[in-house]
Amino acid sequence: MPKRKLDPLPAAAFQILLSLADGDLHGYGIMRQVADQTDGRMRLGPGTLYSSIQSLLEEKFIEEVDRREDAKLGQERRRYYRLTPAGRKLARAEAERLAALLRVARTRKIFRGDYV
Amino acid sequence: MSEKIYAWLLRLYPSRFRETYGDDALQLFRDRARDEKGFFASLRLWLDLLVDLAGSLPREHLLMRSALSGASTQPCRDGTPSFQVLEGKGPHPGALLFGCVVSMTVLAVLPILISHVESSRPSATSTTQPQRPAEERSSSGHQVPQAASGPKEEINGGAKNAGEDATAQGQPVNAAGTKPSDARQNGFRSNSLLPAPGSPRQQGAAGSIVQAAKLEAAERRRVIDGAVSNLRKYYIDPDVAQKTADALLAHEKNGDDDAVMEGGAFADLLNRQMKDVSHEAYLLVVYYETGVPEDPPDPTLAERARYKRTMVRNHCTFEKVTILPHNIGYLKLNAFPDLEACRPTAAAVMSSLNQTDAVIFDLRDNHGGNPKMVALLCGYLFDRPTHLNDFYDRGENSTEHLWTLTPAPGNKLADKPAYVLISSGSFSAAEGFSYDLKMLKRAVIVGETSSGRGHMGMPHRIDDHFMIRVPGIKVINPVSRTNWEGTGVEPDIKVKAADALETAEKLAASRLRKK
Repeated sequence: MPKRKLDPLPAAAFQILLSLADGDLHGYGIMRQVADQTDGRMRLGPGTLYSSIQSLLEEKFIEEVDRREDAKLGQERRRYYRLTPAGRKLARAEAERLAALLRVARTRKIFRGDYV
Repeated sequence: MSEKIYAWLLRLYPSRFRETYGDDALQLFRDRARDEKGFFASLRLWLDLLVDLAGSLPREHLLMRSALSGASTQPCRDGTPSFQVLEGKGPHPGALLFGCVVSMTVLAVLPILISHVESSRPSATSTTQPQRPAEERSSSGHQVPQAASGPKEEINGGAKNAGEDATAQGQPVNAAGTKPSDARQNGFRSNSLLPAPGSPRQQGAAGSIVQAAKLEAAERRRVIDGAVSNLRKYYIDPDVAQKTADALLAHEKNGDDDAVMEGGAFADLLNRQMKDVSHEAYLLVVYYETGVPEDPPDPTLAERARYKRTMVRNHCTFEKVTILPHNIGYLKLNAFPDLEACRPTAAAVMSSLNQTDAVIFDLRDNHGGNPKMVALLCGYLFDRPTHLNDFYDRGENSTEHLWTLTPAPGNKLADKPAYVLISSGSFSAAEGFSYDLKMLKRAVIVGETSSGRGHMGMPHRIDDHFMIRVPGIKVINPVSRTNWEGTGVEPDIKVKAADALETAEKLAASRLRKK
């Protein structure tokens, strides 16, 4: 099975890692969390979502915890996912990379005003 | 309607992706469709889905194109190695050639080494060394039946090997399934009324040997003291141990043992006295006329290899593996052999049933074996490691935990209905297998109540002629907090053993029809 590429980390995979930072979520939970944290700009479709989840599982950046029901969403049992220490580390590294990029942008005075 | 359209669109994904995430993708679609009602929300949903399809479909197909789907579930016959190429590009011709040369060299050198080791060993080891009682040679509290293991000298090595395995787990030997014939065959007897054919006493009938067998009062005291101290130290239930020990000492004090002058009769007398109090069939003093045998040396590499070959030739006691009507998988297993020898065979059997809709495990003639094989086979019925049993060792005051071994990748049996057939002839590990699955409500048990062997014993040497077997390890099921010792495993569906298969087949078929 050829390994999926996570280097560079795709935006969807990074968003999924971020969405799991606060706790375990199932697929739909991740999708909604990502939509929330991007102000609705990124709505992961099932294909992209599960393809990214599979890549992250293969690289052990996230893990499947168990199947259980989500009381708010009915009786169906759902797979929950959890961020592993390796995944947290990867998310932090990516955030730091972006922060460094941000510093460069700031020194180039890309932003209007001082905010950001 | 829209869900049907999306389900149809999902079929455009590669099968492996669909199998793993198809249901979840559909679930996500349902969730969104439920939460995003109204014309514009629906329009946005479909737009998202189409963009998602356009982006993820080509990527998934590119990734999957070179992968062999389901490779790990392909059956391999009789443990024959098979090689599956999982990368897109085949190996380089040079690498193949190199692999060929290395394999040929290893194959050529190995038999030479083995024969060299064998010829340098004293030839007597496998034929004239004192044989230990059958229970002692059996593995890990669950006995490997002789029928399945080939000639005696061949199982010797393998069984010791299994014993090693078990010692590591802290679960040694068991009396389960021991027959009088086994005992005689191995040179000891506990019943003086049945002299062993070919034993020194019968052969010689010489006065000197009979004289030698006479018991001194001092030896009687030594044996009783040895029995008492071993009982107190090792027997699983301290209260019963104390009561039994008190009874032995009381009989001695009353002079009940004084008249007995022969070792075998003395062992029988003590056994009766102990059983009256403990009701434990496998708490036994054993008398060896020719002396308690020393522990045999560890099995050699060649003996282990021979055991493995014998087991594999016997299909690791898998007597029958087939697929019955209604796509019901059926396997008949007559022992739980060592993982070292039989893991590939067991994996091949389970993968040949991987596509079935229900599985029947026929353990009606299963005499037990190694708990690790129980853990391996149970593993196929769960999607994650599951706690099966604890083994409590009184002497060591330690507990070993038995969990299912993680199932093979690609296993599809975790949520399929399972049935276990048992009979009054199902022993030890076979009872463990059915009891554990019954307690976990993972299988329907069909047939007769099993024999009821849930304790395991260790032999302890008392002196040159006497040893005592003390059940010192008990199984504690995490659900029931007890085991099947004495009571046996009660089937969920009680039928005659002969009718169990037909009954289970009907149950499975009707359950599958309801689905």
